[in-house]
Amino acid sequence: MISNGPETKKRDAVTEAIEVQLKKGVLALCVLALLSKADSYAYEIASKLAKDIDMGEGTIYPLMRRMQSDGQVETYLVESQSGPPRKYYRLTEAGRASFTAQKAEWAAFVSAVENILGAAA
Amino acid sequence: MTRAEFLTRLKRGLAGLPAAQIADIVADYEAHFNDAQEAGRSESEVAAALGAPERLAREQRAEQGVKRWEETKNPSAAAGAIFAILGLGAIDILFLLPLLMGVLGALFAFFMASIGIFVAGGVVTAVGPFAGPPGGPAVAFLLGIALMAGATALAAVTTLVTIGLVNGLVWYGRLHYRLLKPAIETQV
Repeated sequence: MISNGPETKKRDAVTEAIEVQLKKGVLALCVLALLSKADSYAYEIASKLAKDIDMGEGTIYPLMRRMQSDGQVETYLVESQSGPPRKYYRLTEAGRASFTAQKAEWAAFVSAVENILGAAA
Repeated sequence: MTRAEFLTRLKRGLAGLPAAQIADIVADYEAHFNDAQEAGRSESEVAAALGAPERLAREQRAEQGVKRWEETKNPSAAAGAIFAILGLGAIDILFLLPLLMGVLGALFAFFMASIGIFVAGGVVTAVGPFAGPPGGPAVAFLLGIALMAGATALAAVTTLVTIGLVNGLVWYGRLHYRLLKPAIETQV
């Protein structure tokens, strides 16, 4: 009764929406985490994230732009031996503070979800 | 898709933004192709991993539109933000349009009403005391002032509701735009 056509479609859409929101929310946190270890450039960030959390590489650019206009990261140019100078990103003070806060929030969220999942199993 | 084709389609999608911003965005993707080439990846492989240039252009555009709305709260920035978000396909325009038209119409009517009441209040204040009103000139004068004050309050509330509505739309659109959809589709 539940698994007729439109219903399944709707459920898939919901699962997909949840997945999108999860990844999208977590992406900014991952970028902050990478930059908290070392300054980096967009291609490096994109290829690390694409490999580990399976996201479109192109998504990094709108995200970096938003983080920059929010004042979480800033850019500087580094001469490269081949081609034009490379644009590096580093965390600002605000970005560092935001990373600490988001990391704590993430840890609390994950342990809460795990508790519930564990209880349900 | 080749690198040149990707960049041409991206530029086409960005047309209309300030030239400096377009140059900035395009430079980012050019650097991406350069770095990928150094890593030994082919142009078509990189273009596929980046996703459709039209989409990326829409996302960048929406980001700019939202930013402008956050910086300046005026009607043109509001329209820009709403259309940029709609351009993402995040909000179904056919579903939204009649609703939006109704709400905008109502807000517009409220604005017009407040202007009308304000003018009427002004007239009562200026002319009322000399027209021999019931209750004396002072009553007419105060009534006129009260009407103008009421009209101002109505306009202020309407403005707040409008700003809230646009913020709500922008929030909803951002939450739902399918930034990562291509990644998920290839995975499935």
